[in-house]
Amino acid sequence: MLIANLARLAGQNLRRNRKNLIFASVGIVVGISSFVFFIALGAGVQRVVSTQIFPMEANRLQVVPRSVEFGGAIGGRPIDEQALSDFAAIPGVAAVYPRMRLAFLASTAVDGRDISPAAIDLLRRVPGVTPRMLEAVRDVRVWLEIMGDGIDPRLVAADAVAGEFADPPEGAPVPVLLSRRMIEIYNGSFAEARGLPKISEMLLPFLPPVPLTLNHSFISREVRGAPYPTRMKVVGLSRHALMGGITIPIETARRFNRRFAGEAAAHTYSSAVLEVSSSDWLGPVQERLRQLGFDLDLSEKRMAESVGLFITLVTLGFSLISLIIVGIAAVSIAHTFFMILYERKREIGLLRALGASRGDVRNLILAEASAIGIAAGTAGLLLGSLACLLADSLLGRFLPDFPFKPESFFAFPPWVFPGALLFALVFCWLGAMVPARRAAALDPAATLTGR
Amino acid sequence: MIDIQNLSRVYGQGDSATTALRDIHLRIPEGAFATIVGTSGSGKTTLLNILGGLDSAYRGEARVDGRELRALSDRERSAYRNQMVGFVFQHFALLEHLDAVQNVALPAFFAKTREPDPLRRAAEVLSRVGLGERLHSYPGQLSGGQKQRVAIARALFGRPRLILADEPTGNLDTSTGAQIISLFEKLNREDKITVVVVTHEDFLFKNVTHKVRLEDGRLVEETPC
Repeated sequence: MLIANLARLAGQNLRRNRKNLIFASVGIVVGISSFVFFIALGAGVQRVVSTQIFPMEANRLQVVPRSVEFGGAIGGRPIDEQALSDFAAIPGVAAVYPRMRLAFLASTAVDGRDISPAAIDLLRRVPGVTPRMLEAVRDVRVWLEIMGDGIDPRLVAADAVAGEFADPPEGAPVPVLLSRRMIEIYNGSFAEARGLPKISEMLLPFLPPVPLTLNHSFISREVRGAPYPTRMKVVGLSRHALMGGITIPIETARRFNRRFAGEAAAHTYSSAVLEVSSSDWLGPVQERLRQLGFDLDLSEKRMAESVGLFITLVTLGFSLISLIIVGIAAVSIAHTFFMILYERKREIGLLRALGASRGDVRNLILAEASAIGIAAGTAGLLLGSLACLLADSLLGRFLPDFPFKPESFFAFPPWVFPGALLFALVFCWLGAMVPARRAAALDPAATLTGR
Repeated sequence: MIDIQNLSRVYGQGDSATTALRDIHLRIPEGAFATIVGTSGSGKTTLLNILGGLDSAYRGEARVDGRELRALSDRERSAYRNQMVGFVFQHFALLEHLDAVQNVALPAFFAKTREPDPLRRAAEVLSRVGLGERLHSYPGQLSGGQKQRVAIARALFGRPRLILADEPTGNLDTSTGAQIISLFEKLNREDKITVVVVTHEDFLFKNVTHKVRLEDGRLVEETPC
């Protein structure tokens, strides 16, 4: 039978049995919509984890000195200038970005009342900053021990939005990058609780420099020599920045280390980020790094993988429930087709008498099932997408702010729509398979004579 | 046209086996008008089903136009029914959700060669059987005689060389039955279509060329008229 004829005949039959078939396909609609909903929710949460909480870069590796192992004869090599040269010489390495930890103690003490009226006036102009927040800023009193890292400015060039991220002249405020993750936690919990303005890239240009005292601690008595008071200015937020501290240009860190911790500290690096020219090089570069006596810092990657696995498992669990719903619907479809088949027995006999082959009869039933699958699958997709939109709107409106609260909780992987449609189609086929075979096997002479 | 040798048909197996046809020999030439008569259960409809390619579980030979029907594949037998044979049933076998034209055009769905305009062809055939004014009437809106005319038009749609009618007047009053019979006679005369009619009322048929009588599955009389 020609496909156009098959489609027309199937269409006629579907119109005739639409009530039964709509009822039978409700399960498919519900199953597919819940499948789309849970997959989109899982993908949305996964996106937050992979882009905000544990952002991963496929072509970058973080190298750290090898930790001393129990039973190991020799400890790891430090990352020094020679090590950086060795890294750069590894085939496949496109760039090396060293990091240097501040090897001395530092602190900050911020008193809101010391902030100048001009700086407060600047803050007042920022959209979203209320007079009450300014009051809270004025009441701030913070004493903090500061940990810090120096970082290669090339690695974070795009993150400095409120000033230049480069070694400043003597006496000028030190440009500082803060961790996006840390700021997210501050915005989601601390700022909310204390009535302070939330920190965003829009606010940064309006923030005044704050005191930074090098070679000083509120806690430790180990500090030797005089404290060195200076100021720091937050110029950007970066996912490369240190989680619980400040990140400054590496040349500034070198200068301060040399001054407060000695020459060796000015040439010893805590880690280095290696950029490989393509992900194909990751394996060979990792191997070479191990041969050179270094380790890779995979803690973030492992954490991301663990969280990702958990989300994937939960998503799979819910998707499985959706597929079970669709599976039950397939049984209902099979039941409906058997019922229709019983009603149409004589008609099938007539079609056989008029020239329909067994294959034509089977294809006719499967074509009807396909149409139901496509229609119910599309309805399920629409319903699922609408449910996502509705849930997104309700969650966005009524859920209180929390760290890493996304703009949207849902993401639609490109495969989800064709995949869901395919599921609907396959389950409808499965439901119709046995009735179709039974219909094709009907004896036309027997059905026409009512035997 | 039709050549049947040693034809037997048994339904069921073992103790429950029922013999519907026993060792039938029959020849009906092309262009003939044949009636098959007999009491209920004599095997008339079984013979018709075998000739129509609807039943191939027989023993012996059943050749139509030189082709042994049992040797054909399902596809070939379907094409044979679609192109070679037109069926007419006692209960009309019209689909209630389709109008007259759509019912008549049904065979076009299964035709291997595309009919350029099936609905137009269906309208032509309906006009030929005198239903040119009822093209879009549904079966529920037609009388018994009109329904049987639609069924005949459907049988004619594929330009068949053989029409097999199973008690086509069984559900009609005598006068309407006579009209249907004269329609078959006209088709046989003008289009040279071979017509085989299973009937209880062979006395109504005037221009029959062959009379076949079955009793308990046996051919008891074959009379070329």
